[in-house]
Amino acid sequence: MSNLAVLPIIIPLMAGIILAFFPKKLTLVRLLTKVFIIGNLGVAAFTAWLVFTQGPIILETGDWQAPYGIIIVADELSILLVLTTNIVAAACAFYAPYTLPDKKERFYFYSFFFFLISGVSGAFLTGDLFNMFVFFEVLLMASYALIVLGGDKVQLRESVKYVFINLFSSMLFVTAIAFIYGTLGTVNMAQIAQRVQEVEQQGILTTIGILLFFVFATKAALFPLYYWMPKSYAVPNPVVSALFGALLTKVGIYAIIRVFSLIFVHKVSLTHEMFIWIAGLSMIFGVIGALSTNNIKLIIAYNIIPSIGFMLMGLGVFNQDALSGSIYYLIHDMVIKTILFLLVGTIVYAAGTSDLRKFKGLIHYYPVLGWMLFVSGFVLAGIPPFSGFIGKLLLLTGALSSEEIVIVIIALMSSLLILYSIMKIFIQGFWGEKNESFEYKPVKGRMAPVAVLLAISIFMGVGAEFIYPSIELISAYLLEPENYINAVMKE
Amino acid sequence: MEYIISILAGILFATAIYNLLQKQLLRLVIGSLLLSHGAHLFILTMGELKRGSPPILTDGVEEYADPLPQALILTSIVISFGITSLLLVLAYRTANENNTDNMEQLRGNENE
Amino acid sequence: MIFTVLIPLLIACLIPFVSLYKHRIHTGIFVFFVPFTIFIYFIQFIGTGFEPVRHTYNWIPSLGINFDFHLDGLSLLFALLISGIGSLVVLYSIYYLERNERLGHFYVYLLMFMSAMLGIVLSDNVFVLYTFWELTSISSFLLIGYWHFKEKSRYGALKSMMITIFGGLSMFGGFILLTVITGTASIRAMVANADIIMDNPYMPLALGFILIGAFTKSAQFPFHIWLPDAMEAPTPVSAYLHSATMVKAGIYLIARFSPVFSGFEWFFIIVSIAGILTLCWGSYMAVHQTDLKAILAFSTISQLGMIMAMLGFGTEAAIFAAVFHILNHATFKGSLFMVAGAVDHESGTRDIRKLGGLATLMPISATLALFGTFSMAGIPLPFLNGFYSKELFFGSAIDLGEGTSALASFLIEVIPYLAVLGSIFTFVYSMYFVFGTFWGPKKLDELPKKPHEAPAGMLVAPGILVLGVILIGLFPGAINGTFIAHAAEAVNGEAVAKEIYFWHGWDSTAFQMSLAVLGIGAVLTVTRKKWHGVYQILPGRLSANKVYDWLMAKIDIYSGKITNAYMTGSLRHYMIIILSAILIATTGFMIATGGFTMNFQNLASVTIIEMAVVLVIVAAAVATIFINNNVAAILITGITGYGVALLFIIYRAPDLGLTQLVVETISVALFLLCFYHLPNLKKRQESLTSKTTNGLVSIGFGAMVTLIGISAHSSDWFGTISDYFLETSYSLGGGDNVVNVILVDMRGLDTLFEIAVLGIAALAIYTLIKYRSDKGGR
Repeated sequence: MSNLAVLPIIIPLMAGIILAFFPKKLTLVRLLTKVFIIGNLGVAAFTAWLVFTQGPIILETGDWQAPYGIIIVADELSILLVLTTNIVAAACAFYAPYTLPDKKERFYFYSFFFFLISGVSGAFLTGDLFNMFVFFEVLLMASYALIVLGGDKVQLRESVKYVFINLFSSMLFVTAIAFIYGTLGTVNMAQIAQRVQEVEQQGILTTIGILLFFVFATKAALFPLYYWMPKSYAVPNPVVSALFGALLTKVGIYAIIRVFSLIFVHKVSLTHEMFIWIAGLSMIFGVIGALSTNNIKLIIAYNIIPSIGFMLMGLGVFNQDALSGSIYYLIHDMVIKTILFLLVGTIVYAAGTSDLRKFKGLIHYYPVLGWMLFVSGFVLAGIPPFSGFIGKLLLLTGALSSEEIVIVIIALMSSLLILYSIMKIFIQGFWGEKNESFEYKPVKGRMAPVAVLLAISIFMGVGAEFIYPSIELISAYLLEPENYINAVMKE
Repeated sequence: MEYIISILAGILFATAIYNLLQKQLLRLVIGSLLLSHGAHLFILTMGELKRGSPPILTDGVEEYADPLPQALILTSIVISFGITSLLLVLAYRTANENNTDNMEQLRGNENE
Repeated sequence: MIFTVLIPLLIACLIPFVSLYKHRIHTGIFVFFVPFTIFIYFIQFIGTGFEPVRHTYNWIPSLGINFDFHLDGLSLLFALLISGIGSLVVLYSIYYLERNERLGHFYVYLLMFMSAMLGIVLSDNVFVLYTFWELTSISSFLLIGYWHFKEKSRYGALKSMMITIFGGLSMFGGFILLTVITGTASIRAMVANADIIMDNPYMPLALGFILIGAFTKSAQFPFHIWLPDAMEAPTPVSAYLHSATMVKAGIYLIARFSPVFSGFEWFFIIVSIAGILTLCWGSYMAVHQTDLKAILAFSTISQLGMIMAMLGFGTEAAIFAAVFHILNHATFKGSLFMVAGAVDHESGTRDIRKLGGLATLMPISATLALFGTFSMAGIPLPFLNGFYSKELFFGSAIDLGEGTSALASFLIEVIPYLAVLGSIFTFVYSMYFVFGTFWGPKKLDELPKKPHEAPAGMLVAPGILVLGVILIGLFPGAINGTFIAHAAEAVNGEAVAKEIYFWHGWDSTAFQMSLAVLGIGAVLTVTRKKWHGVYQILPGRLSANKVYDWLMAKIDIYSGKITNAYMTGSLRHYMIIILSAILIATTGFMIATGGFTMNFQNLASVTIIEMAVVLVIVAAAVATIFINNNVAAILITGITGYGVALLFIIYRAPDLGLTQLVVETISVALFLLCFYHLPNLKKRQESLTSKTTNGLVSIGFGAMVTLIGISAHSSDWFGTISDYFLETSYSLGGGDNVVNVILVDMRGLDTLFEIAVLGIAALAIYTLIKYRSDKGGR
């Protein structure tokens, strides 16, 4: 049964390879893509159900016992993220044919897409630090391929920067792993945690931890390391932006949450206090960025930064409520960011420009699109009863229980400005007089997957009663590193 | 010797970063190559250097060099190679497409 | 009880279908029955023997968020206002809005808003209350922006949303804080635990958060600025939102929480000051408005200030007066908005400078306006409810007891004078409103339309409200015992036994204050034109509006400036910031935790060959910086790679050495291939500063990793897991070459995905070379 844990990694890998064999047969490729992704979603859902009912699934690959071999750990957090990844990815798979030129699809788009999913799932599931590096490389390599796909001037230009910065952080990752191996003699995360605990995180360990934090923070696009992100996320095709916005930065924040709830938890007053500051600055600079531009794709891209800030804030506060909030927010944000990137992609297609100053009155032609954007804005800003609200409520409750007042005020005000940044699109782009000479382009097909996601997102808020207990379970589990260590080390 | 290698790796990092901060694409690629060398040397140093024989089991030999870092480095070398190749082609295409290999001219502007 | 909240929402979902038939039947006719039914439902609770009712419906019990609907006197008063005025507004809108408008949208927003308001006043759970609170902000945003093709509507909608959601979020913070302090999300439970809240050091913060929420919603100075711009909404909306509902939500909130905070002196100080200031400012501003609805808007602001001030006073008499005035204000202000709408509808303008002498043309409207304004001005007539509450207001303002601090004592001294001052202006604008519109010279040729009396249907709703004004004025006692007293009791915490009299005698101070208002007000009204200059002095540059506009403009400008300052698009800038951040933080932590260690035991010896290799690598690495020839630079980079390969071999890693050699060779070849056609490296034209920065950052970073590396190597607490690999490589893995066994077996997953990376890279390179978007694509 434990082999189930590796399937969400292997299925997409296989799918990617299979699809690479006949890239020109588009109809077949599209069909297979949908079949594979739905299949993988099913597997992930089943595995998640097993994990939540019977506890974490641990797979010792090649039957090499922990901590010697590579361990795949499908615990509640990991599998929930994998499940969300697949939901988001499925929506993107259904959206993709509408927005991609056939040529791009023929150039292995779907293969890269599956490789990306495989890498992301792997990064969520692995219990081995070096293996995580490998999965990071898989997903990065796939993202490099996706971001350059099409290869026009602007894309290439931003890709080069993207590749260099990620390459740098990857090498730093390897170096940090080297340091960890040097001090602790292992790369298995559970054993690392155990050993750090034994020596009470003394000496150089905290410094190595911080180095690791910055490696992940670069991927997660936290202040002050996010500079590479907004433009490189805004230039590619909307589907690619959605995948990046929903998944890549989340892998970074997942790694931070994992490492700093499992391993480096013995100097919380130093490390986690810094996280709160970084979270606050991310929120401030993120919204400032989102307000600074009239490019609607960039507005959404910038909005990633404060969201990541919210998630980090919960980790920084580090109590049950706050951590639950981070996780709730993480799941919520994966969905809503996909929605927003896809919506904005549709708007750009419909309006023919991404410059907010160049169109208005779209609501007369695209009422559904407009209202979906409207609702999404409130979902994003955490207005009740939508999903962002539950996360925000938990985060703020946690922060106020720990008497972190400043970050709460920053969080509240940035929520207002986040809302403003989206409402700007609605007010300027959708309201206004009807443009009689407007050339209507149908967008129905691409709205369907987005509508499904939006329904999920609304359900995560209104139906929080069905979701929150699981999240609470996860945060309680995370706050006791012993849980993870014992599950893996079987002692 | 471990410390000397650490310092060497540090120097490789420093020169790599200096190159990464340059304008010309070529230098940036050189920088990324140097960076991976530095990182690999760090992994190697973290095992104990020059202890025992190469980790190929031989009768009568009791002590071997630490095999794990070597395995990790091997994986990392191959991955770095993949990235470097992609980077080279990407750099070449970027320079061609934008008619410059100067990063400062690849800044771009808003609203595109 | 939940149905009262849900039904409007559910009906709202049906509206789009109903409005398909709007050309046969006005959609409003269907909608009318919704608030009317709810009103009938609530009416049955009125009575002397009223007892609070409570219903609970679970929503998210694990987070303590449930629909705990609690109907007490205060809630009942508001629920009646919301549904009652709601019915009248819908009735009015049937005649006001043409069928060619987007009626479906209008009624959906209106019903959403109604649901939200009922939710606010019925919820005992703070988070549910907050949910509905934001829903009012959202629906009022949509209502104000109903005519979104008008620039001013968009401006007003955005403004109201920004300010009220700002307040909402702040209030949310306050609610969470109170929940954390008391451990409950129920308002009643918080009131019961008021002493715990009072003893908590964060109580002032919670109060501040909640006050901001209430002040923004109730348009208290300086957050009042959204309200005048919200007048861009269709008039029925203004009548609804700004006389009876939305703006009173803030009042409701303060009233609800005053049992918790009333013992705290700053509560008295802040709320009273805000209220009194708003009263004076609003009425002063109303005097020189030229738009009928703007006069009413500022009048609303000022009246809300008055109610707020009374809640701040916190005495039994003041609370009673406040609750009474909530009802009275809703009746006369609602009717006045509707009259203003009728005038606008029939004459085509709301500009009071163009209006005048309409009394003969619109006699019924004029009569209604007369009652409304006289009630608002507090003219002492026994059939005007406004006089009663104003009298009670004056009465409470002069009976504030003793202040414990200097500031409080000072306030207690000043408040009566300010109360009179504000009321004088109230008198002036009330008279101006009614006489400026309906009496005086006719200027019919300036009007866009030839005015005539509004259709009967349009006059029914304001007529009913004016009837309410009169009935309450005639029989205040009937209203008092049946529900005003219950409402006051809910705010005060204990039963309020107050009687409402018309006549308090000549020697009553309150009555003398009323007379003063009447006298001075009359003089100012007659001589209004002479004071024109005085009214123009303020707000001048002090206007909070200008602050808002300035702020929004600055947000636009500075967000751009700030962002563009660092988002330069230059990779070098990005890298320098990223590197410096990592450098500073890591070094900081190394120092703070005393992380650096170094011990010279257990080190390998240094030999000459190794040193030679090391030096070659260093020399080559440094040389890459200085060489300006493509091929040479690439080859020299190759030398570092070969050097590293040599080191691998020396350090007992033959496999590594070989791989490195191969990889390095291919890389260099590829390198040369790609860069052969590119321009030669140029001499770097860098300024000294950027050279220094680059140098410092790179040397610093190199030093940092070295130090961590040395410390990591010196911290030798544990053995490595590798011993296991050496032991089991043959027995379990079946191979002598341990590195190979690790790669293919123990860490086989790494290798599988390492190959995947290579494969993806190959595909990516293929697409990069083959795919040119300019030659094809869509």
